[in-house]
Amino acid sequence: MVKEQAAGRVALLEDIWKSYGAVPVLKGVSLALEAGEVHALLGGNGAGKSSLMKIMSGVIPANSGRIEINGRALTHASPALAQDLGLYLVPQEAHILPNQTVLENICLGLRPSPRSLRPRVETLVAELAVAVDLDAQAASLEIAERQIVEILRGLVRDARVLILDEPTSALTPFETSALFERVRKLQGQGVGIFFISHKLREIREICSTISVLRDGVIVLSGPLDEYTDAEIVEAMSRVQLAADGGTAKAGRKVAQIGQPRLTVRGLSGEGFADIDLDVRAGEILGLAGVVGAGRTEFAETLFGLRKQSAGSVHLEGKELKSRSPRSCIDHGLVYLPEDRQQNGLFLEAPLYWNVSSYLIHRLPFFLRSGTERRIFDGFRDSMGIKCTGAGQSARGLSGGNQQKVLMAKCLSAGPKVLILDEPTRGVDVAARNDIYALIRTLAGKGVAIVLISSDFDEIEQLADRVQVMAFGRDGGQLSDAISVDAIARLAFGASEPNHA
Amino acid sequence: MLDLFARNRVVTLVLILTLAYAAIGAAAPGYLSGATLSTVLSSSLVLMLISLGTMVVILTRNIDVSSGSVLGLSAAVLGLLLNAGVGLPLAIVLCLLTGALAGAFNGLMVAYLGIPSIVATLGTLGLYRGIMLVMTGGRWIEDLPQDLKALSTNLGFGFSALTVVVVLLIVTLWLFLRKTRFGRFFYAVGDNKAAAHHLGVPVRRVQFAAFVAAGTCAALAGIVFAAQIGFIPNQAGNGIELKAIAVNVLGGVSLLGGTGSVAGVVAAVIFITSIDSALVFLKIPAYWNDFIAGALLLSVLLLDGRIRQLIERRIRARRYAIHDRAPVPDATSSTTRIAEASR
Repeated sequence: MVKEQAAGRVALLEDIWKSYGAVPVLKGVSLALEAGEVHALLGGNGAGKSSLMKIMSGVIPANSGRIEINGRALTHASPALAQDLGLYLVPQEAHILPNQTVLENICLGLRPSPRSLRPRVETLVAELAVAVDLDAQAASLEIAERQIVEILRGLVRDARVLILDEPTSALTPFETSALFERVRKLQGQGVGIFFISHKLREIREICSTISVLRDGVIVLSGPLDEYTDAEIVEAMSRVQLAADGGTAKAGRKVAQIGQPRLTVRGLSGEGFADIDLDVRAGEILGLAGVVGAGRTEFAETLFGLRKQSAGSVHLEGKELKSRSPRSCIDHGLVYLPEDRQQNGLFLEAPLYWNVSSYLIHRLPFFLRSGTERRIFDGFRDSMGIKCTGAGQSARGLSGGNQQKVLMAKCLSAGPKVLILDEPTRGVDVAARNDIYALIRTLAGKGVAIVLISSDFDEIEQLADRVQVMAFGRDGGQLSDAISVDAIARLAFGASEPNHA
Repeated sequence: MLDLFARNRVVTLVLILTLAYAAIGAAAPGYLSGATLSTVLSSSLVLMLISLGTMVVILTRNIDVSSGSVLGLSAAVLGLLLNAGVGLPLAIVLCLLTGALAGAFNGLMVAYLGIPSIVATLGTLGLYRGIMLVMTGGRWIEDLPQDLKALSTNLGFGFSALTVVVVLLIVTLWLFLRKTRFGRFFYAVGDNKAAAHHLGVPVRRVQFAAFVAAGTCAALAGIVFAAQIGFIPNQAGNGIELKAIAVNVLGGVSLLGGTGSVAGVVAAVIFITSIDSALVFLKIPAYWNDFIAGALLLSVLLLDGRIRQLIERRIRARRYAIHDRAPVPDATSSTTRIAEASR
């Protein structure tokens, strides 16, 4: 039976229409997925990608159109039905039940009991070569581990159609290559996969077909090798983008880098020890490393969110002793956290509340919304935030625009030193380029920037100097020959003997 | 040892309960007797039923503050039917049906019409009490038939027919929540609604079912109430919903949904009821009851919170201590790291 299916079409979407209120997001989208095909799906912010995926997986209903999975129609919007038909959506932000164990999380909704599924899950964990403790409470999982739980959910369900929504955004390179191996194996078994990603390099590595969605319409579709990167990006954003991100950096360099702003000596805390770091005005320091290297803990300690156990922090020569987020902001040290949904945004609050939230201590006792709205409007124009107005709630914005709102919030505090933790995670190519341009402009204005990123391409493109953290320690510095390879060598340096 | 307390509220409660019993037993010899046990057991039944129903709702991250009124309304239905000459079995069935319907209306509003549960059940708290008063014309229902009161007579070891029913219900609910697929869904919905929906859990049906269960439990509590007291006052069940919520918190049911056990709630109900009986025995004036119960509730929660914080700090320290060691960078090491930290 499996072989019969392997030849055929596993998913078919015909003329899908969807609008929220009066705003149409999908205007007649048709897509087909063959067995054993890995189909890349790209699109900018608000192109309708996530709506399409949610419709396909039964989370929300379409206004009209037909969906067939494994030759059977998805008659009504129900995730249970879609899963019964053999489709599973691995969402970008993992859905976790914090009070249950990892195993229970993986097996929830399946008929056999978690205990009887355990051997199967263990096999999958071994095949994926990932590190998860099935009996741990899910609340204790890091972002990357949560993502792995979602991927395991899809695999244990024996899905014939898998939708992977940016599956690698929180994975280490090792985990990514193990995932790709697994994807290839599934491909061999006749599973069809929709692969959503913003990383063209990954798409080239794993996908055979590509479709690009823009403004609710498929604008490009066909075998991947027929298109160049430039064509794909152009289709997605309608604007020709500079092919080389490095030139802008080269032009800006040297002259503008000024006085030391932030000096950290021997800082130790939870998950890291003995870190030295210097950033000067106008400098972009890339803080690279793999997930779990202790970079976020370092940044949170710097910002006063966690207790330090040793070391000193000087801002413009003045020591910041007992730091709290409030005192850091007041001194001009501002942190943009990694997890937007959990730590960054007030999702229900209007956008202008979000933007003025770092300023709130400086605003008068009686708040005047006019002032706040003006501050927001200024940022909206300069950063190109797409929204209906200052009063819209942050929940409705796409990932890229949410990130811009957060950047605006940080900027409103007038930072001297800005720590950006994974500023482009889950952000599409066009918005990513906006954010890169913004970071460069800020550096040009003399702000000292610490850029934390697991995307070594990003560090290569932006950073003037690179500091690497590995296993909570200083992993080395790069100032001249900054390249992805050199960074990766340092980040994984200590682990090479084991993998040789 | 500490972990045992943090994981398991039941252990904490049982320990405190044992200590309290020992202390009271020393202060007032004769307290520790079969008669006391029997009193505590039978006077805990009403609160037990309301608390278990409320627990199911709280598990799904909702709240039900209407259960006191549901108790009153269904007890009134029972009393009026019985006094009109309807047979006991039929009256009991109709009474339970009234409770289920009242719960279903709550569930309809919360699960399908999207009204926040606190608002919806605050509304029905007044509404159901109002319907009861209209039905009884504001009068107490007295002269209930003897066969109803017989349900609460002692059959031996302090067990009445009603006690047996409640014990059976406790066992059934425990098995259902722990051992069945649908039972697990109640935890899932309260833990993370979006995730549950995404995984194909029928979120609305689960929420609806929780309210129906709570209503039915409240009706059963109404029957127990009527059988034990022998008449039905206007204010039957008034305020018991808040006591039930306090019991749930005491029993380790998180108001944020997703955690809690039947054992914890049962232990908490016994605990609260024991306080009342002990005060009577120690000849402390009855007007001290609320004060002492409130103070004890707060101290248990405070103690529990401190223990929890301590444990969390320790787990965190252990987790990062492993990071601080010399790098152990192969893929398997982080498995052991997580495993060790969670141990």
